[in-house]
Order: sequence, then C-alpha cells, then structure tokens
Amino acid sequence: MKSDEQLMLEFQGGTAAAFEELFERYRNPIYGFFRRRLNNAGRAEELAQETFVIILRGVEQYEPQAKFRTYVYAIATKQLWSERRKDIRAGRFAAEPQETSHESDPSTALWIRDALAQLDDGPREVLMLREYEQLSYDEIAEVLAVPINTVRSRLSRARTELKALLESQSARGISR
Amino acid sequence: MTHREHPIWEEELMPYFDGQLDEAKASEIANHLETCEDCAAAVADAKGLSQQMTEWKVEDTSQKMRESTLTEMRLQERSKRSRQRWAWWTNRPVWAYGLTGAVAALVLLTVSVPSLLRSRESNPPIIAALSSPSEAVVTQQEFNKIQRAQPEAPSGPMIIRSARLAIVTKDFDGSRARIETIARESQGYLDQLTAQGEVGSGRTLSATLRLPSGRAETALVELRKLGKVRQESQNSSDVTSQYVDLQARLTNARNTEQRLTDLLRERTGKLPEVVDVEREISRVRETIERMQAQQKDMNNKVQFATIQVTVSEEYRAGIELSSPSAGTRLRNALIDGYHSAVESVLNAALLVLLCGPVLLLWSAVLIPVILLARRIYRMRLG
Repeated sequence: MKSDEQLMLEFQGGTAAAFEELFERYRNPIYGFFRRRLNNAGRAEELAQETFVIILRGVEQYEPQAKFRTYVYAIATKQLWSERRKDIRAGRFAAEPQETSHESDPSTALWIRDALAQLDDGPREVLMLREYEQLSYDEIAEVLAVPINTVRSRLSRARTELKALLESQSARGISR
Repeated sequence: MTHREHPIWEEELMPYFDGQLDEAKASEIANHLETCEDCAAAVADAKGLSQQMTEWKVEDTSQKMRESTLTEMRLQERSKRSRQRWAWWTNRPVWAYGLTGAVAALVLLTVSVPSLLRSRESNPPIIAALSSPSEAVVTQQEFNKIQRAQPEAPSGPMIIRSARLAIVTKDFDGSRARIETIARESQGYLDQLTAQGEVGSGRTLSATLRLPSGRAETALVELRKLGKVRQESQNSSDVTSQYVDLQARLTNARNTEQRLTDLLRERTGKLPEVVDVEREISRVRETIERMQAQQKDMNNKVQFATIQVTVSEEYRAGIELSSPSAGTRLRNALIDGYHSAVESVLNAALLVLLCGPVLLLWSAVLIPVILLARRIYRMRLG
C-alpha cells in the first residue's frame, strides 16, 4: 500500500486517482474529528469538506518533508479554532445541547462526552487527538504547535481528570 | 517516593502505555510493572479509560459530501490543466518578456509612424467625405465613425443642447432642400424628416437635425433664413455631474467584475459558491453594459445638439374662374329644397318634443287659475 505522502506527490504530478485514495482514507476520520468537537453534524461535514478543499488548493505548496497526517490534522485544527472563534462572536458557543451519534452506545457515549466537555481545552484536545485521531506525541505537538513535554503533561492530567469525572458520574448513576 | 526508591516516574507510564518510548525504556518499564502493583494499576486504568472512550463512535460521512469534494477536485484539475497550457508563457524568464516587449514596440513604431505622417498630410477621411459637394446628408454609419473619433469624456462641462424652430415659408420645396444642405454642411445628419399635404394646399414639413454642438448656432442662423420665424425655443442641460457619477460607477463595476473573475479563477469555495460567483459576474456584466449604453447615449447627446424644425407653407386661396351649368344648379337647388323641407319637419317635431312637457305643465297650473278668475269676475258683475 502506498503511503499518504507518496499519494500526495502523485496528486501533485496530476494523478487525480491519488487524491481520491487519500480522500477515502481520511474522509471519515476528518469528519469524526469535527463531529466530536462540534454540536452540528451538518457544519462538521462542511468543515471536513473545506479541509479537503484547502488541501486541493495547496497541493502545489505541499512538501513531502511534512507528514501528510500531521498536515491534514493541522489544517483541520485551524479550521476548528476559526469556527470556535466565529461561534464565540455569534454567542453560540456551548449554547446548544450536543447531539449524540446514533452509532454510539447512548449511556457510555453520553458520559464520555459530558466528562470530556468538563476538561480544560488544552488537556482535552491532546487526549482527543491521542485517543480518537491516534496521533503520536510528536504529531500532537506539531499539530498544536506545543512542546512535546507539554503534550505529555497535558495527556497525563487529562486522563487523571477524566477518570475521576467518569467515576463520579458512575457513582451518581448507581446512587440514583 | 524518590527516584532511587521507585525507578519509574509517573509521567513515563503514559508514554509507555501509548507506545511512545524507545525499546530499551519500554522493556525497563515492562519489567518494573511485574513487581510494582501501583504502576501496573495506573497502566490498567489508562487502558480501561481508552476502551471506554472508544464507545463514543461517529457515523460515516454522507455520499453528498464525497461527491461534492470530488467534483471540486475535478474543477481544480481542469483549472490546473488550463494554467499549464499557458505555462510556456508564464514560466518564461524575465529577459524573455523584455525581449518580446522590445520586439512589439519596434513593430508598433514601424507601423504607426508612416501612418501618422500620412494623416498629417491630408484631412481625415471622414471630414473629406463630408466636405465633398456630391455627398448627400451624412449617413448613420459615418456619424458613428465621427462619434468614435471624438474623445469619450470631454474635459469641459458637458452640456446637452436642443432647439425648436417653427417657420412659415413661401418656398416650401426650396426649404426642404436647404434643410438637407444645412445638415450636411454642419457635418451632422437628418435624424427624421416628415412632409405632409398636397401641392397647392398648405404643406408642412417636420425635421429633426443632429448637428455637432459647436456648429449648432451657425446652423440655427441659416435655418432662420428659411422664412418667417413664428416660434423659437432653446434649451441647455448641464449633465457633467451625472456623467462623472456614471463614470465612477462604471469603474467600480469593472473592478468588481475583475475581482469576481479572479475569485472564480482561484475557485476557493465549493461548487454552489462557484455557481453563485458566476451568477454575480453575469449580473455585474449586465450592469456594466447598461451603464456603457447610458454613457454612449450621453456622449452622443452632448456632442450632437438636437434641432427640431417645423416648416409650414404660406397658403393663399386661388380664384375659381369657372361656374357650374344651369342643369346642375337646378338639380342642386331641388336637392337643397328637399333637405330644407325634411329639416323643417324635423325641427318642428323637435320643438314639440322639447316644449310639449313644459306647456302641459303650465297649462295644468294656469287654466284652473284663469277659470277661477273669470268666475269671480262674473260673480262681481252679477
């Protein structure tokens, strides 16, 4: 199987099928990235599409030194921050209840989602990139533009806090 | 707990669990976990948490998103191919552009200098054609040529001039020919000409002349000589501010069109956005064309004054020398008599119908009064 970087270089050379292959590899992960972070499924899909449009537009500037995975998640992260800034300006942020995907086990997914929402932005983002996007520490550091030690400490803190939150939620659930 | 007592830092457990440590360090921690219950529990917790987190699943993307992204990719590819077609030109080094520019300038000089010299030696062809005595009134095509030769925006104020003249003349035929001559000599043209009436009756002629504004005054003087001026009016309208405003709006619209074209070329958005941009370009183009037509019309009106001339023939009734025959006169008298008889009967009927109701009304009032008065009179006598 060709690597993402090889496919990107082929697409630079004019092979449209290479981009289609890349798109098939990343369309669901990128959609998942936005879907878990935004309340609106439609907007998540639009942002996922815009991420690919940005890749299309910037294909000529892409350099193989950068890992495609890091490149694509860095773009998605910037898109997400931009969207959140817009939401804050429009006063929409955290105002709407988040819909839970029908694919999930309702109770556990809801607990996880609620507990994650209570974490601070920095630790939560590192934990989600690690657990859902399966990025390595180096990749997370590059995507978020933070030192690797920050990634380590944030991840450790996020896990500890999330565990505590889930345990307290579980205890409340049992007591009810 | 110090590092001496506990050889693994707590922060190293997470990288171990996530597989982010090198082989030697990972092996060291693995050995440690076999003997340290606390650390083993911490790693087990992380594993459990990770499994719990995977419960939050997300549905796949829609087919619509897939299709629209791939459509965008195809558009992008087409645009790229089109750019590559011109790459032989855009990728040239700077010296190649310089050389091409120098060659173009040389060709331009070679072509333009002799024609410039020729044009100084003789009149411009349009004026020459107009000054020829054999030429009739200037045609619309020639007028358009003159208009193109004029500068688009005069530096001074822009005045639209118009005039109306009503003239009575004895020499009607000569006037018509003279109007055509005045139009030709003024380097203008006859926009419209209508003649009515028969020879011997009072004929009228209505003409609209479009003459260069600078020559309109001289032409009016000539037109007044056609006969007695019965009515004259002149009107001037300053449209400088309107013209400047139109020019500014046109420039803005052209800039907008350019920006939209650039935007479309870069094709930054999704397919519906591209369609929106194309629709906007078409709307702006329509506005530009409408404004260009207005500008052309305004230029035309400023450069060419409008003179409306109405020429009436002075009519004098002729003396009839012949008289009708006796038979005709008798027949006419009989017919007139019959008409008079019918007319009188009709008039009498009309009078009865008109006055009848009034007479009846007054009779109903007056007759009893008269009868009563007579009775009283008789009683006094008796």
